[in-house]
Amino acid sequence: MARSNEVNLNECKMVVPLNTWVLISNFKLAYNLLRRPDGTFNRHLAEFLDRKVPANANPVDGVFSFDVLIDRGTSLLSRIYRPATAEEPQLNVAGLEKPVTAEVVPVIIFFHGGSFAHSSANSAIYDTLCRRLVGLCKAVVVSVNYRRAPENRYPCAYDDGWTALKWVNSRPWLQSQKDSKVHIYLAGDSSGGNIVHHVALIAMESGIDVLGNILLNPMFGGQERTESEQRLDGKYFVTLRDRDWYWRAYLPEGEDRDHHACNPFGPNGRSLEGIKFPKSLVVVAGLDLIQDWQLAYVDGLKKAGQEVKLLYMEQATIGFYLLPNNNHFHTVMDEISKFVVSDC
Amino acid sequence: MKRDNNHLQHNPSSSLCGGSSAGKAKLWEEEAAQQDCGMDELLAVLGYKVKTSDMAEVAQKLEQLEEVMCIAQDDGISHLASETVHFNPSDLSTWLESMLSEFNPPSSFDPFGAAGTTAGVMGTLDDPFVGGPAESSTLTTLDIENNNRKHQKRGPHILDEASCSDYDLKAIPGKAIYSQDTQTQPQTHDSSSSSTHNNNVKSEKRLKSTSGSHSGIFSPPPPAAVSSGIPTDSVRPVVLVDSQENGIRLVHALMACAEAVQQNNLNLAEALVKQIGFLAISQAGAMRKVATYFAEALARRIYRLYTQNPLDHSLSDVLHMHFYEACPYLKFAHFTANQAILEAFEGKKRVHVIDFSMNQGMQWPALMQALALRAGGPPAFRLTGIGPPSHDNSDHLQEVGWKLAQLAEKIHVEFEYRGFVANSLADLDASMLDLRPSEVEAVAVNSVFELHKLLAWPGAIDKVFSVVKQMKPEIVTIVEQEANHNGLVFLDRFTEALHYYSTLFDSLEGSVSCQDKVMSEVYLGKQICNVVACEGADRVERHESLTQWRNRFGSAGFSPVHLGSNAFKQASMLLALFNGGEGYGVEENNGCLMLGWHNRPLITTSAWKPAIETTATSTITN
Repeated sequence: MARSNEVNLNECKMVVPLNTWVLISNFKLAYNLLRRPDGTFNRHLAEFLDRKVPANANPVDGVFSFDVLIDRGTSLLSRIYRPATAEEPQLNVAGLEKPVTAEVVPVIIFFHGGSFAHSSANSAIYDTLCRRLVGLCKAVVVSVNYRRAPENRYPCAYDDGWTALKWVNSRPWLQSQKDSKVHIYLAGDSSGGNIVHHVALIAMESGIDVLGNILLNPMFGGQERTESEQRLDGKYFVTLRDRDWYWRAYLPEGEDRDHHACNPFGPNGRSLEGIKFPKSLVVVAGLDLIQDWQLAYVDGLKKAGQEVKLLYMEQATIGFYLLPNNNHFHTVMDEISKFVVSDC
Repeated sequence: MKRDNNHLQHNPSSSLCGGSSAGKAKLWEEEAAQQDCGMDELLAVLGYKVKTSDMAEVAQKLEQLEEVMCIAQDDGISHLASETVHFNPSDLSTWLESMLSEFNPPSSFDPFGAAGTTAGVMGTLDDPFVGGPAESSTLTTLDIENNNRKHQKRGPHILDEASCSDYDLKAIPGKAIYSQDTQTQPQTHDSSSSSTHNNNVKSEKRLKSTSGSHSGIFSPPPPAAVSSGIPTDSVRPVVLVDSQENGIRLVHALMACAEAVQQNNLNLAEALVKQIGFLAISQAGAMRKVATYFAEALARRIYRLYTQNPLDHSLSDVLHMHFYEACPYLKFAHFTANQAILEAFEGKKRVHVIDFSMNQGMQWPALMQALALRAGGPPAFRLTGIGPPSHDNSDHLQEVGWKLAQLAEKIHVEFEYRGFVANSLADLDASMLDLRPSEVEAVAVNSVFELHKLLAWPGAIDKVFSVVKQMKPEIVTIVEQEANHNGLVFLDRFTEALHYYSTLFDSLEGSVSCQDKVMSEVYLGKQICNVVACEGADRVERHESLTQWRNRFGSAGFSPVHLGSNAFKQASMLLALFNGGEGYGVEENNGCLMLGWHNRPLITTSAWKPAIETTATSTITN
């Protein structure tokens, strides 16, 4: 057993830069400690270990941020990231919600990853990623600190996403000059990608337009064990066992992985045919064991006549977008910036 | 340039820039130049301090840890989560070491040692005298419970969090502490050599987890440790809790008024300050109150009513007490500081706490109770309380001492007390304190919301630092407001303070007792007034951020002592008692603990120790 682990570790190290390997391996081992076999989660230790950063109303590299309490009842916070302008070097609290000035300003509502259980909007890895998106897309980014499993199961994360979306949509200061509307994009990685899909659905059904969905290594699954799951189990940081744990933690008790939250185009899913749905950019890492589900998701969208672009990054593992030290990162960032264009 | 990771694998130190295109070539060069001395910048931004040259070694430790965890499986690793005390996760190398050492004896590495056994190296943790680092050093009666549990077979050990919080209730002092009969009796063990020995082993273990290239207790932190990975000193965290229209107009008016004051346009400022009054009335809740206090402070500044009547001591005591009850800030401060002190006093037979912030001594009953319950019996406890003179000639410091003496008697702790009246901490000299040799008596220095006042007088803080070093303390516990209210520019201070106190007032809204809330607002209002209206020696509320205090302590020859996951967890559970914990959060920051409201850090507890030249009781482990 030790032997096969050795092989796995070496393979893994060959495909990512060493510091990336250190980062993701560290998460992997720490996360192993946090998940308990009985399905509970060591939240205190998780919060202790998570590296967080405060919001910063002082611009750093052209971006400043501040937190907003969107819903007091659920303590729903979001972190807003905005580009700093030359005219406003020092912003006071009244200036933080100053109206956007450009003709068209994309507002990206971001849902961080963590398999529904880990991380927060103020986790350093996600604060960094969101800051990048601001410059990349000339956008305002709203990172939602949604409630996490297992303390808060389905549909809490989706509810929080929907609450945040309604809030964003109703901010006068986020309206683009061109049409006095908020130009909304949804983006997320891992569980955040899953949330993107479901919140987009709610939005479109409620008449709020979402201009585009960006799903980075989105978390989907199903009861069946797919070929990629079997082939890649335990090879590149992720195991089927931990995937199962997270679904058990998020889905309602007693539900299996064919629940529509997990498997939107599965036996309990629904067709999106004829439904107005945003165009989607779906990024799949070739070394992610759940890729078969992600590819099935893309297929499901296509079959329903929805606009979708698939970016299949063959040699990429999970988390490749956390550090700017590999080609996949740059390719994907380019595609995202093209996807979120200041048109329409 | 095609990406080729295999190439990189043979040259770990240049692995920083994995895939590179031509545009990234420059980055390669810069990174290569920094190879041997620099931190990996990419990881630093993400909160992890790993030297580029250590990367391969860290990777190796990760592999080792994974192997060992794999072999041990669920049962074997659950203690890592539930009982092990973790320190400073940013220092990956040290954290991994401490995890690995949980599976192995400190001096030898045997990856298969833990396989299938529950004995062996776990001997020290099973020992009844020691009871495991996480549990024996908590401030609750849980101590006794867990000592008993440890005697049983080690199995899947999942701590029941609900029962923990029940026990914590007993440890939280309130005004009632003085009349309450304590229910627990301290254990009396013979102070045997085995007890001492095991305590030393434990201490050594803890030292092991905190020593390392950047976080050694005995080595002064290099400047890089302070700033690497953290943006510059001027981080301005803001949380907007009130997005109402009126709220924004009010803030606009306040800022405009402050700007006018900054520009010395006092006519305009005067007009605006009156306008604020009207706007404030229409506002509800915390925002109205905050605005009112800031408006009053601005008015004082405009009309040059700088000097406030110094607060009568009994009134300031009352305000302090209400603030203590209304919200968790003081309790958090006391709790986390006491935790660090308790750990520093492990194995010491005679201890001496020097409290720079004595007030009504509310911090000490809990510590005394924890000491009373300590495995091996309580130490002799000496307390020196320092406070300002009272105006009515009453010797309130002595009264406080009396009450504590009564408590000490009830719980059978040998107690000695001395009160010191001083106008300023800078008036103190070590010779006044009757310090005893450090082999005989261990010293802790404690300061809650006091140190920043020294920044009002040039040279005062340096004097105090040097006096503290003369005390040869095991630990110096500091709690301070997490804000920069000491900037050179008035408008900056005003802005910072407005954000800070708005957040603080918002957190008070949930207080159960109306009276506590109102008194707390008055208590904070005095601070607001001082920050905004006063200058020079009168302006004592010169709060500074953790980054700034780190610089000061580092320059003064102190090294950080890290607060760990046990303190973090206990503090988090404490918060749950306030409004279900909604809104409050504890954050770990390079060994310090911060308490915040809706992700905005508001107070920070840090711990320090004089750098290496003063003590030589333990060896530095690698």
